[in-house]
Amino acid sequence: MASILLIEDERETAEIIARGLDESGHNVRHEVRGDDGFNLAVEQSFDLLIIDRMLPGLDGLKLVQSLRARDVSTPVLFLSNLGGLNERVEGLNAGGDDYLGKPFGFTELLARVNALLRRPLSTGEQSTLKLGDLEMNLIRRRVMRAGREIDLLPREFTLLEYLLRRPEQVVTRTMLLEGVWDYHFDPRTNIVETHISRLRAKIGSDLVQTIRGSGYMIRANRAHA
Amino acid sequence: MQIAPTLKSASFRLAAAYAALFTISVVVLAAVIYFLVTGLADNGFRSRIRGEANTLHNEFETGGIQRLLRAITERQHDRLAGGLDYTLVDRSGKHLFGSVTVQSCSAGWVSFKGPPDGDEPPGQLEELRVLKTPLPGGYCLMIGDDAGKIRVFGKLILRSFGWGLLLSLTFAVLGGVFLSSNFLKRVEAMNRTAEAIIEGDMKRRIPRRAVSDDLDRLAATFNRMLDRITTLMDSLRHISNDVAHDLRTPLGRLRHFLEDAGRTAGTPEEYQLAIDKALSEVDGILDTFGAILRIAQIESGTRRAGFRSLRLSDLVQDICDSYEPSFEDAGKMLVRQIDPSIPICGDRELLVQSAANLLENALTHTPAGAKVVVELHLKGDFIELTVSDNGNGVPEGERARIFERFYRVEGSRTVAGNGLGLSIVEGVAELHSGWVTALDNNPGLRVAIRLPAAA
Repeated sequence: MASILLIEDERETAEIIARGLDESGHNVRHEVRGDDGFNLAVEQSFDLLIIDRMLPGLDGLKLVQSLRARDVSTPVLFLSNLGGLNERVEGLNAGGDDYLGKPFGFTELLARVNALLRRPLSTGEQSTLKLGDLEMNLIRRRVMRAGREIDLLPREFTLLEYLLRRPEQVVTRTMLLEGVWDYHFDPRTNIVETHISRLRAKIGSDLVQTIRGSGYMIRANRAHA
Repeated sequence: MQIAPTLKSASFRLAAAYAALFTISVVVLAAVIYFLVTGLADNGFRSRIRGEANTLHNEFETGGIQRLLRAITERQHDRLAGGLDYTLVDRSGKHLFGSVTVQSCSAGWVSFKGPPDGDEPPGQLEELRVLKTPLPGGYCLMIGDDAGKIRVFGKLILRSFGWGLLLSLTFAVLGGVFLSSNFLKRVEAMNRTAEAIIEGDMKRRIPRRAVSDDLDRLAATFNRMLDRITTLMDSLRHISNDVAHDLRTPLGRLRHFLEDAGRTAGTPEEYQLAIDKALSEVDGILDTFGAILRIAQIESGTRRAGFRSLRLSDLVQDICDSYEPSFEDAGKMLVRQIDPSIPICGDRELLVQSAANLLENALTHTPAGAKVVVELHLKGDFIELTVSDNGNGVPEGERARIFERFYRVEGSRTVAGNGLGLSIVEGVAELHSGWVTALDNNPGLRVAIRLPAAA
């Protein structure tokens, strides 16, 4: 259970988010004004901040900049009606950790919240990622499963790496498009699905599961775990 | 012709400035010529008389006064020296020859006003300039000539310059008035066109001339700008119509689902199904809005500020990599002919989306077994990215229209899509100062984006 501060002035959106997060087992505080939210974020410690870009009192961007200037490093998820391309970059530059354009599905929000609460395993320290009998060597860029080397295309390698860094977490299609492809639009063709099925065909179909209505999750096969 | 605006016009002021400059240069030229010519004439005058005095002095040295007198008499008689006046006076002041009288005979020049000898303007005295030469024995030789000729010559020069200047200034002013009134008429035509357009007559254009000068080119540019504005206004009008129409349809469907579910659904599964259907309908509507917003953002041109230099070849390869499995799954072939390391200065996300849209179109609008070719070549000073297929193609008449917003080729309406994909492609091409065309691939469709090559 994580404590989350939600700063959002649209009442209905805030209610839906708060209720959903609450049902998912998180503890949510809600603030309407940017300045009130800032004060609370400075006074108390939270695991995650969900902040709307446009707020009364203090603008979301400035809020996060001020927090970062005070060394408050709590992860921040920006929400925004400004669906533009520039706004996302601005949000991330201001110190946000993720950016979600409205309108969004709640499952998308939840997946991102969980991803931020469980920061991915950092890159620097490890040279290998392991899951069950699957092993990825990041330096030699090789993947082995049960002692057998698996030949992956570069994109498949990146996709698997992204999943392995978030074991047992729901990863949405949009998160994969952004994180693996760096695509920030919604392609009509489900290129994620086709790549996932290629990947499954190579590493075995048991590891990457489809979570209906949400996305994918990589999990060790219990038989091998 | 109205004089006041003519005089105020920029072209007339320019003509007047040129006339003033011309006047100054003519005056300077006239002064220089005047002084040069009169100075030269004066020198000639003096040296001629001095030479004559030397000759006569020699005559005196060799043959005394008698020989000198004879020489003067011969000269006067034959007019050998070109009409010089000679006077010779002896020690006592008695005139041996000629009639000029002086106080003393010191060597040098002296000027007189003498009686007219016929070549002066009426009523003026002759201006005589005389060189006095004292000779041994108290004699005084004086040789003179009419110096008025030089002055007359100078005046003639000044007068001809004056007349010439007056005449050319008249021409300059008349020409300036004519040219600027001509220019003004054309500016006025532009002004009237602009006024008419402000009044709402968007069809008005500036009249063109047969001769293509800079003003005419300006008019042409102006007209092109007006065409562009008209197109934009038309498209804006179309868009609001199309948005209304294209959103009414899915909203109508949505209403229908919900009404139907409310009436007939009984089990939770049936409700779930209705909700899922409604959600996917709403997602479609949201996608359409997203695309409209994105087009608006692209057209605003603000994205240019974020242009970066990119490797277009890598970008296109990468998109092909991403889509290749989808082509394989659909039983279609994706062939690449991509020249390596072509750079571009542009917006990565938008270029990616454009290329993806083209690939998706080729993927969704071709029959199974189709072959899709992606080409990227550097052709001179532009980059050409083409996606061509051997599918059913688009009829000639519709080919240009596929870039219009919400336009969907008849028969493709059953396939998912909002009719905005190619509009985005066109917008992105134009954002990068390029353009996009749809061609017949014989059979199939060939869409080509041309972008200026990075400098």
